Amino acid sequence: MNKDKIFGISIIVNILLAIIIFGLLADASHKIKYDYVSEERIEEESLQSALDEGSYGVAAATSHSIRGGAKIPKEYEDYYRLGEYTDLLFLKEVFTKAGNTDTVTMCENRISKIREEMSDYGVLFDKIDQSVDKAIRE
Amino acid sequence: MKCYSCGGEVSLTDKVCPYCGRALTETASYRADEEEYKQRSKKTKKKADEIVSGNLALIISTTAMVFLVIGVIVACYVNDNAYFFQEDARHRESVKKYEERTAQMQEYLDAGDYTGFFAYKEYHNIAELKEPFDDYKLLCKLAEEYTDMISVIESVVVYDSDAQRYGSESDVNNCYWAIEHFYDEFKYNQSDIDKDPYKEYMYDMKDKADIILEVYFGLDENGRKEYFESSDLRKKAYLEGVLINE
Repeated sequence: MNKDKIFGISIIVNILLAIIIFGLLADASHKIKYDYVSEERIEEESLQSALDEGSYGVAAATSHSIRGGAKIPKEYEDYYRLGEYTDLLFLKEVFTKAGNTDTVTMCENRISKIREEMSDYGVLFDKIDQSVDKAIRE
Repeated sequence: MKCYSCGGEVSLTDKVCPYCGRALTETASYRADEEEYKQRSKKTKKKADEIVSGNLALIISTTAMVFLVIGVIVACYVNDNAYFFQEDARHRESVKKYEERTAQMQEYLDAGDYTGFFAYKEYHNIAELKEPFDDYKLLCKLAEEYTDMISVIESVVVYDSDAQRYGSESDVNNCYWAIEHFYDEFKYNQSDIDKDPYKEYMYDMKDKADIILEVYFGLDENGRKEYFESSDLRKKAYLEGVLINE
């Protein structure tokens, strides 16, 4: 095998290696930028379909991160807030029975605020209210 | 070596003795050999230079390949450990903001909002297994089971009356296991919980779990006692009765 052939092969190998490095670094950079909410974003379709299907509890469970202070991208905020609303209604019953009056007040304030700020969803809020009421077995 | 004439110390490369001036014929063959080696060395170097310059492009390409291979290995390592690097960075950040983080977590705890507490802990990457957050280890473990239990229960009990329900049997199983996991976690860690600085919150968490069972499954104190004392089959039958047969 002559020198030129070896040189040609080495150039090709170098190009392949450079492509591999580029791919690996791009992937690593994506992983390093990973955050809890962007990962949760995978669930946004299911969050939306849960709300469409009337599975409000699923939406509530998917939205826990918002109550931990997670920053939600603007375009998905409504879904998360609807989930949060359901979650707070669900928990309010528990806090009431546990005698956490301050927490109940906080929940009520937050619930009212969400309802006020998302007045377009009035019908959906009513349905959620009924669903939580129906779930209570006392 | 020494000069045969005066005994002075002479070098193998000296042509005459520096002390007596005698011509050093005995080192002549050494000097001739040295000269020949020098010439040969020059020729070899020249030849090597010629080879190197003739293959410069190949050498550069091969060197680049070595660096690229090292680069691939490093990139693979970074890629494999990217999450850990990020986790470490976020942990360092949470340690730096220890006061702020613990104050916020305390607010959640004081409010009795353990799902909020756990969500906060997750979002801010607080590593409860590492210092200085290791005090929260048991609390976080229990809060995780509590959050899982609430997630499952709210998923299966809160839905619109027109909603299509799929997989009711798996709902029953998920509920059964979520309840079992939380109560088992509490039971098996009871002695550690009693020694833990956050034990009051863990007991409150258990009280809230009891309330959830009461409010959403109709299990009052006696009902819970009966439920937890019954067999797995009876537990599942009870949950099935609540979730499916209503």
